[in-house]
Amino acid sequence: MDTEPRETPQFIASLAAILAELWYALLELFLKVPGGALVLDYIRASHKNDPWRTLLEILLALVAIRYFLASKYSQDEKDKVELSEREVDELIADWEPEPIVPPLRRDERWQLDSIPLINGAVASVHVSVEDPKSGEISDNVLNLASKDYLSMSSNEVVKENSIKEIRAAGVGACGPPNFYGTQDVHVRVCEDLARFLGAEEGIIYGQDYCTPTSVLPCFLKRGDIVIVDGGVSLALQKAALISRSDVEWFNHNDLDHLEEILENLEEDLADGPLNRRFIVTEGLFENFGDSPDLKRLVEIKNHYKFRLVLDETNSVGTLGPNGRGLPEACGISRDEIEITIGSMAQALGSSGGYCVGCEDMIYHQILSSNAYVFSASLPPYCAVAASTSIHLLEDSQEEGKINPYLRPLVENSKHLHQLFRDSKPLRNLVVVRSADYSPVVHIRLNPDLRKSLGLPEGYGGPGSSILNAVKKGHEDLYFDSLYNTESYILQQVIDQCLKKKVLITRTKRVLHQELLPVVPELILHCNAKFTKAELDHVYKVVEQSLVSTFGDITKEDVAKYTSVLNN
Amino acid sequence: MSFNAGKFNPSEWSAHVPSAPTDDRPEEVKAEMEFGKLTSQKWLATAKYDAKKSFKAPIADDPPYFVVIMTYLNYLVLILIGHIRDYFGMFFTPQHFTAMLSKNGYPPWYASFESFYPRRLKARMDDCFARPIHGVPGRYTACFNRISHDYNKHFLYDGTSTECLNLSSYNYLGFAQSVGKCTDDSVAAVEERGTSAGGPTDVSGHADLLRNTEKILAKFVGKDDSLIFSMGYGTNAHFFTSVLNSKCLVISDSLNHSSARFGIRLSGAAVKVFPHNDMVALERILRESISQGQAKTHRPWKKILICSEGLYSMEGEYCDLPALVSLKEKYHASLFIDEAHSIGALGEHGRGICEYFGISASRVDIMMGTLTKSFGAAGGYIAADQWIIDRLRVDFSTNCYGEAPPPAVLQQINTSLRIIDGQLNGDEGKERLQRIAFNSRYLRLGLKRLGFIVYGNDDAPVIPMLVYTPAKMPAASRMFLKYGVAVVIVGYPATPLISSRIRFCVSAALTKEDIDRILAISNIVGDKMCLKFGSGMAGGEKHPGDWKKGIHPRWSLEEVLAKTPEDCRKEMY
Ligand SMILES: Cc1ncc(COP(=O)(O)O)c(C=O)c1O
Repeated sequence: MDTEPRETPQFIASLAAILAELWYALLELFLKVPGGALVLDYIRASHKNDPWRTLLEILLALVAIRYFLASKYSQDEKDKVELSEREVDELIADWEPEPIVPPLRRDERWQLDSIPLINGAVASVHVSVEDPKSGEISDNVLNLASKDYLSMSSNEVVKENSIKEIRAAGVGACGPPNFYGTQDVHVRVCEDLARFLGAEEGIIYGQDYCTPTSVLPCFLKRGDIVIVDGGVSLALQKAALISRSDVEWFNHNDLDHLEEILENLEEDLADGPLNRRFIVTEGLFENFGDSPDLKRLVEIKNHYKFRLVLDETNSVGTLGPNGRGLPEACGISRDEIEITIGSMAQALGSSGGYCVGCEDMIYHQILSSNAYVFSASLPPYCAVAASTSIHLLEDSQEEGKINPYLRPLVENSKHLHQLFRDSKPLRNLVVVRSADYSPVVHIRLNPDLRKSLGLPEGYGGPGSSILNAVKKGHEDLYFDSLYNTESYILQQVIDQCLKKKVLITRTKRVLHQELLPVVPELILHCNAKFTKAELDHVYKVVEQSLVSTFGDITKEDVAKYTSVLNN
Repeated sequence: MSFNAGKFNPSEWSAHVPSAPTDDRPEEVKAEMEFGKLTSQKWLATAKYDAKKSFKAPIADDPPYFVVIMTYLNYLVLILIGHIRDYFGMFFTPQHFTAMLSKNGYPPWYASFESFYPRRLKARMDDCFARPIHGVPGRYTACFNRISHDYNKHFLYDGTSTECLNLSSYNYLGFAQSVGKCTDDSVAAVEERGTSAGGPTDVSGHADLLRNTEKILAKFVGKDDSLIFSMGYGTNAHFFTSVLNSKCLVISDSLNHSSARFGIRLSGAAVKVFPHNDMVALERILRESISQGQAKTHRPWKKILICSEGLYSMEGEYCDLPALVSLKEKYHASLFIDEAHSIGALGEHGRGICEYFGISASRVDIMMGTLTKSFGAAGGYIAADQWIIDRLRVDFSTNCYGEAPPPAVLQQINTSLRIIDGQLNGDEGKERLQRIAFNSRYLRLGLKRLGFIVYGNDDAPVIPMLVYTPAKMPAASRMFLKYGVAVVIVGYPATPLISSRIRFCVSAALTKEDIDRILAISNIVGDKMCLKFGSGMAGGEKHPGDWKKGIHPRWSLEEVLAKTPEDCRKEMY
């Protein structure tokens, strides 16, 4: 009778001994794992100080483990439908995917034919254009479709240096910059860009269009804030979107609206963590040909401690007395602009994109900017071409004067704008959207005329049928018939001009990718090499075509155009 | 040769990256440095796939346990020390952490954890990365000499450079040249057409040179038409948005290139990832995705796109194209193949992965590739049926918003394509193709026989040689450089944590004797650094069946050099 109570403790004691042994074996094993001793010490120390904390941490660990396991068997797993093998086979046999892309509709085909076919140099001021149907070649066409504003692409010095570099290093760079793909000339062009624009350092990319989508995500992650001008180009829209940060839009160039947004945000921001904050805008808007009030913008961003991203794709080489972009034009130091993005493929007459700013910012891109790390360097000769253009601009600069390379461009831009602005015959037909200093003339139909023709204020954008179709994945609804027709009528103007040996162009947009509303425009790119007489001629030709197309256009005519497209 | 060697004057060290010295050697000498003459007709091979055998994934040899443990330990120490240095550094020397600390109410540029790896691990071997070069990255590449006094924070240059045998550049067919037909044509293109393309293709115009090159390229890969863009990365980054939406599914290989992953993310499509080259997993995902439909709603997917690469640039492995094609046909999905590294480098006529496997290009829906690697140019392309290209030509955002490829680059592509195709310069194209096939096979087999663990398929011109321990990466790279060979090292995060490697990119510009030299140097490096862990299971044994008996291939250098050049042309293992 008295043996039993004695035996139980013995049993418990031996169990405890076994458990303790096991525990020690476990601990020992754990100690063998690299770093295990450290962890154990940590637990021991923390337990001594605060036993409750150990419990709490164990609970936390359990929750974390549960969370990890749960995320593996995510939503998908849970709402999966149980199917037999036969049902799966049937479903597979029934599945009919959509074609990989929607084939071009009959009424869209004209878009394909409207791409100008150029023979020989594309960027020069006089080009030969081939007719897509007859194959006829029309020589010596005045080219207002090229963004080579300073004609650097055909500059003899630029060409000569580029050729020298091809003779020294071949064409391709054959490797990413971090793996033996950085040539001396790449380093040089980064220095040149930084010096020319007045920044600490620079970095270059293989293509201008890829630059914003690669730069912004380096500095913007979930939880960061970016406030974007509601008129930026597609590349910046995408860059803001892909960064997954909180995006706010302010009305195009409306700094009051920007301040209002910042004012509203201020309280939240003061309490929240110090996340990264940016304002994104353009030096010369791709979509409008105007610029923000940089002075005020800089004051605002300094006041609210936001950083500024300025896309100078269109403004470097075209604005400011020496082509140093909007800050030079506004008398503001480059230091005020934390991130500057730009293109070497436009006024600099080369190829590729760049970003300049402070050393820390550039250094981070070298390590983590996708389009820099995972892509081959720019061909060395392109770097040389851009460097040469910069040197030409710098070498001819004179204190207090407009750079001789820019002066003709500035004058031409102003002249062409004035011709259209002062035009009597066009007064009721079109409006000039761009500012006089813009080398790109944006001409859109007069809003009253558009209204009378039954055309909407803009196409696409938030809440539009196209963006709804995108959300739902209805590719057959990506098409806007009125947009198509309006663009087609503008193309008629372009075609008529081309018959008279003037090549102008229009906005070409991928409507379903644009997040912001779009209005079709005729686009004329100025060039430093045009003479006044040539520009007068261009104006005359465009005026005639506009008048003959829109002079007495009615709603019925628009319908007629639409039906022409369908036949 | 070294430029200005012997100058070595410490007072002339400067942080300024020097400019290229003038090179006034005669043209023949330069030509030989860029593209070595074939030394014997014996050193040619043809890369062909035996369609009768089914595709076998290459065997990946495993390192011994102690290597694995040492590697993890290595990382552990690096990470611990890194954190300790960060912790105390931010406290005591904040001037070194300006970008990671908030200042005057401005948030840091980036968080310290975002940059932990590059600062604390990569920075230790930064001397192996981004070394500036000058001149043609051909058979040899001229690397600037530099030193660092502050643990790779800054480098000092003395203006001299050393010409190293080049196994680092993507120059598969050796078209990186400053003499010859390609260069002459490209120079003429600059003279005639200038340096810039003037703007986006759809806006500024579709140049005759671009049209012509697109047609030649399309014909070369076996498609109706193609689009050429000025950057390969950009091609992938913006392609997927043009064809997919959020109701579409992409099934993507786990090792796909960052550009494709970025592009898919931008498109908003759903993504499922299958383990690298695992066709069983792919089929399982296909069956499940089609039968289950979209998440939550269970509506059928609008499109399913399988996304793979022709030749994986970190592994040197092909995709299993026969299986991919048959799966995509069985399940009516679409297939996208990124031929960045396979176009020009694989197949009897260099037409890429389809030709190599003898599969008609019409069975791949979208063929993407880059023009950076085999053609000595730059850029990327999409080739497909006419109706697809017609749609993309007006709807591809790069065509409307981004720059078109510049003239000299297009001309380089155009001329090199015609050389490969035999339309120009007679048999030159054929010789280049046969040389890259031979060089790849020879180097790979040679390394295996010496005892290295090497990944990849026999014909692949990318040869990753495993070193495992992170500390051995920079050590090996420096040693190769000391012996005059430029190699690329890749480690985490571009590869799995454990499998750091040296990547040899073979070129047709190398001669058989160059490969001999690389083998000899690798042999020294391998012995010094204890890199020979090959078990023989992936080939390289002396006698068939050796590895099963536990005999590892450890041929002496003499044996390798004596027998491998002949052996490598046969199917041995
Ligand atoms: C598979 C793959 N796709 C795309 C690219 C990008 O090409 P590029 O260097 O021409 O931008 C690379 C280059 O490294 C690649 O390996």
